[in-house]
Amino acid sequence: MLGDLKELWNYRDLVKSLVVRDLTVRYKNSVLGFFWSLANPLVQVATITIIFKYVLAIGIPNYSAYVLCAFLPWMFFQLSLSDAGESVLRQYDLLRKVYFPREALTIASVIANLIHLALALGVFFIYLLALGVAVEPGWLLLPVCVLFNFFLVLGLAFFVSALSVFYEDMRYLVNVATNLFFYCCPIIYVSEQILFSSKIPAGLRERIWEVYHWNPMATFIEGYRQLLLPRFTGAGITDVPLDWRHIALAGVVSFVLMVAGYAFFNSRKWRFAERS
Amino acid sequence: MDQSPAIRLVDLKKRFRLQHHPVTTLKAAAANFWKRRWEDLWALNGVTLDVGRGQTLAVIGRNGSGKSTLLGLLGRVYLPTSGLVEVNGRVAALLELGAGFHPDLTGEQNVLLNGVILGMREREVRGHLDPIIRYAELEHFRDAPLRSYSAGMIMRLGFSVAVFTDPEILLIDEVLAVGDEAFQRKCLKEIRRFQDSGRTIVFVSHDIDTVREVAGRVVWIHEGSVRADGATEQVLGEYLDFAAQQAAAEAQA
Repeated sequence: MLGDLKELWNYRDLVKSLVVRDLTVRYKNSVLGFFWSLANPLVQVATITIIFKYVLAIGIPNYSAYVLCAFLPWMFFQLSLSDAGESVLRQYDLLRKVYFPREALTIASVIANLIHLALALGVFFIYLLALGVAVEPGWLLLPVCVLFNFFLVLGLAFFVSALSVFYEDMRYLVNVATNLFFYCCPIIYVSEQILFSSKIPAGLRERIWEVYHWNPMATFIEGYRQLLLPRFTGAGITDVPLDWRHIALAGVVSFVLMVAGYAFFNSRKWRFAERS
Repeated sequence: MDQSPAIRLVDLKKRFRLQHHPVTTLKAAAANFWKRRWEDLWALNGVTLDVGRGQTLAVIGRNGSGKSTLLGLLGRVYLPTSGLVEVNGRVAALLELGAGFHPDLTGEQNVLLNGVILGMREREVRGHLDPIIRYAELEHFRDAPLRSYSAGMIMRLGFSVAVFTDPEILLIDEVLAVGDEAFQRKCLKEIRRFQDSGRTIVFVSHDIDTVREVAGRVVWIHEGSVRADGATEQVLGEYLDFAAQQAAAEAQA
């Protein structure tokens, strides 16, 4: 693996150029392109807000901010994995003709999505300031949260892109799995609802709460919310600060997944060009 | 002066797994988990070969004989199953029409991308940007998206990038057959210049005339092994006799 990393370092300009290509193509050399790519989450968030505010009446003030704050990292997660499936396959003809570290394709596609997340978070900051949210020192921790979120997504992207080369139906599986996973993350709800749910027996709440945090993405999303937004109260739920054990678990799991994903990708990459 | 050959192959073998029922979906992989069947296909079966510095080697053979596999092993697209591949010097593969190009990017953006794909550092490519585009005679199309290029223009751009990566060893797989007469002449001229500067070329071609014109040595690959290796006219003669015999045998059958 060290040899692979060294080789990747020699090709670092390739990763950079592929990122630039991805962003240029996606935004078609225009600023409007970026706003178009924000349109999808904004429409979803608007819909969710209206439903929760007026139909389901959840009663947490500024609920849209909480949903949007979770939606941006979720878009990063989902788009990165669906792009990862395509990242190697789209360059398949090239792969059979010329050598370069294949992982550059996957890494570049995740980094392109990461830059997109950063831009979206930038817009979100402006939105927060417009709402009158005070600037907090906790915002400085945001890059750490983003970094570990990146490790998690990159690790999964390695698995997805390597398997997509050999199995055509991988993208359907990824699609179904991410749709299901959406509900395992606190996006349209807040995770504290588990702790305050009247439907779950009191003895089980704590245990479910623990198992729920085996999912690093859930912890990250809570992290984004707690770092960026004020504590929420309402609807009989109070904000529970993140537990250090959960943060440590999410960090370790994400890092291990990245290393494991890279090892898996490397064990397969020489067979990409030999696919029957 | 380093006396080692540019390329050294020792008993090089490459096996591909040919699946009887190709498993291309996870569903099929799960269903056929216990009964996966494949056949070993030895695309190269023990090739030993030295290519000296400055040589121009043409690889000929029928379709499926293993020529492209050989080139793929030289370009590190595949790992050998067994044997040794030793390549001394920077290798560049002359890519097929438009491989690695993106239709939505401009000519200039594509040059930058293609250069780094071929292993150059970004600032090296930037430094050569003007000459590359001038050489391809595409100054007027520099900022136009590649979509608006003709096939010949894309070809020129790709060739130009490969030339400017300044490789010590150039691999060419059947690329010279495309492009118009004038461009082919230009390619041949460039290959001459490349040869004169003492660099090594390995190319695969079905075009006997090109082989005759360019190659100093010909290797005939047949069913994964070297059938003949030597001076251009001699090997070409043997190969053409063989091809004629085959054609006659097929006509009789």
